[in-house]
Amino acid sequence: MTDNNAISIHNLVKYYRNRFLALKNISFEVNEGEFFGFLGPNGAGKTTTINILTGLANFNEGTVRVFGHDVMKDYRETRKLIGLVPQEFNFDPYLSIEQILIYEGGYFGIPRKTCRDRARALLNEFGLYEKRNQDYRRLSGGMKRRLLIARALIHEPKILILDEPTAGVDLELRHRLWQFFRDLNARGRTIFLTTHYIEEAERLCSTIGVIHRGQIVAFNEKNRLIREISGHWVVVELRQPLKALSEELTRFGVTLGREGKVLRFQEQAGVTPGVMKEIHRLGLEIARLDVRKATLEDTFIKLTGFKDSFEGDLDSMRMAADEE
Amino acid sequence: MKNRTGFRALVGREIQRFLSVFGQTILPPVVSSFLYIFIFGFSIGRSLQEVSGVSYLEFLIPGLIMMYLIEGSYGNASSSLFVSRWANHIQEILVTPLSYLEMVLAFLIGGLVRSVLTALGVYLVSLIFVRFPVYNVWIVLYFMIFVSLGFASVGLLVGLLSEEFEHISMWTTFVVEPLIFFGGVFHSMDMVPHVLKVITAANPIFYMVNGLRYGMIGVTDANIYLCMAVVMVFFSTLFAFSVYLFKIGYKLRV
Repeated sequence: MTDNNAISIHNLVKYYRNRFLALKNISFEVNEGEFFGFLGPNGAGKTTTINILTGLANFNEGTVRVFGHDVMKDYRETRKLIGLVPQEFNFDPYLSIEQILIYEGGYFGIPRKTCRDRARALLNEFGLYEKRNQDYRRLSGGMKRRLLIARALIHEPKILILDEPTAGVDLELRHRLWQFFRDLNARGRTIFLTTHYIEEAERLCSTIGVIHRGQIVAFNEKNRLIREISGHWVVVELRQPLKALSEELTRFGVTLGREGKVLRFQEQAGVTPGVMKEIHRLGLEIARLDVRKATLEDTFIKLTGFKDSFEGDLDSMRMAADEE
Repeated sequence: MKNRTGFRALVGREIQRFLSVFGQTILPPVVSSFLYIFIFGFSIGRSLQEVSGVSYLEFLIPGLIMMYLIEGSYGNASSSLFVSRWANHIQEILVTPLSYLEMVLAFLIGGLVRSVLTALGVYLVSLIFVRFPVYNVWIVLYFMIFVSLGFASVGLLVGLLSEEFEHISMWTTFVVEPLIFFGGVFHSMDMVPHVLKVITAANPIFYMVNGLRYGMIGVTDANIYLCMAVVMVFFSTLFAFSVYLFKIGYKLRV
């Protein structure tokens, strides 16, 4: 373990009470100042890991450290170092928006006056100052999401954990939040992000970990991970549509898309010449040929096989990117 | 206590919670105590003989104060914890550097403040009907503080065990209320048959009611030292159990 590990998880095992094994001996480290993306399909173990880091879940085996402090033995220290933005809105309904921030800062041991000053600064920054005396239930979904982030920052943590921070947020706010997270990271804050939007992780994160069925299946610097796992992809546009893939094309891992006119396969030694030969044998005419670098999406799908569960999200992200 | 600021903040939040619904928490018991005192103590009580050397009205008032003290502290802790689990804002507290002892104590003090305010309200109402000097203020304080903390601990346990709002009211209706009504609030041991005497003597609330009654009017059906011991054992056992459950995260952490 080195001093610059913001988070160190070693041989972590977690069973739920129904004996469901949620985390199967996972280990990874996140360096200080990193923008870390923790990806995985629903139920893979992302939120369980976050809950263990923040004190919302127990675990059965392993060690979890935050800046060298054990999350069980030194929980007071580790909790001061972490700010959590949970997936669901979980505000105290008896408090006004400003009081939510002031009390939360108080629980972290920060004097009331400092809490008030910080709360007002954060409310200003997130465009919520005018609403400070209101009940949070009167806020829009996007405003509530901003309030969650403001609450996580009230004690100025060194690590910000974002559990699906832009879920249900409109495009404009999503981009503003992305910029805000980038700025926070640039100012030295370590960010631990889980997201369903692969593009979000691709745009923001420097390092990616992929968890699947409670196991870490990939962990690397983002570009290296994409390069090593997915490499390049070849896209062949045909002049005439192909009704179905031949056995040989299927064997090479070719997929057929866009009304039978687009063939897509991963570039590997021996595959490209083989596919070209088969296209020639089938008498197909090529309209255009493109070789492109794989995306995080390709890598994710390859690692988890969870294309279907992300299809809707991916489509919406593509639309978002198009609109941009 | 290492996080005093955090502890004070949580106590403040607990007090603000019940004050923000003052009309549901403090006012109803004060109003209904007026009705109890007027009907049972003032109207019916006038036709009763003296109980243990005092008028039935004087005998009744400490019992009523203890009843509302128990209901207030129990109700505050159970509803506060249950609602925060149900709406999940308990997570706002669980992710902070507050220790489990600090969390439990803050919930208990919230219950204590609410129940003492309620008890004070009931006492002020009673002054409309009867006035008597307090026999021993230290004994009164002892019973008010430790019974409140003990029943706030019961409230925390119920708040943890309950999965639905209905469970809270079932605990109240089928456990707490019968114990209160058979605990000597309205009757002395001399007024009930032998079977009820045995049942009453096995009820911890009987010692709480009589302890407070002794502190207020100098009259008790049980030995005051026994009353004090029962209250202390009751409080310390339940308090320790609450801290233990918070520490292991029972129904708080997954």
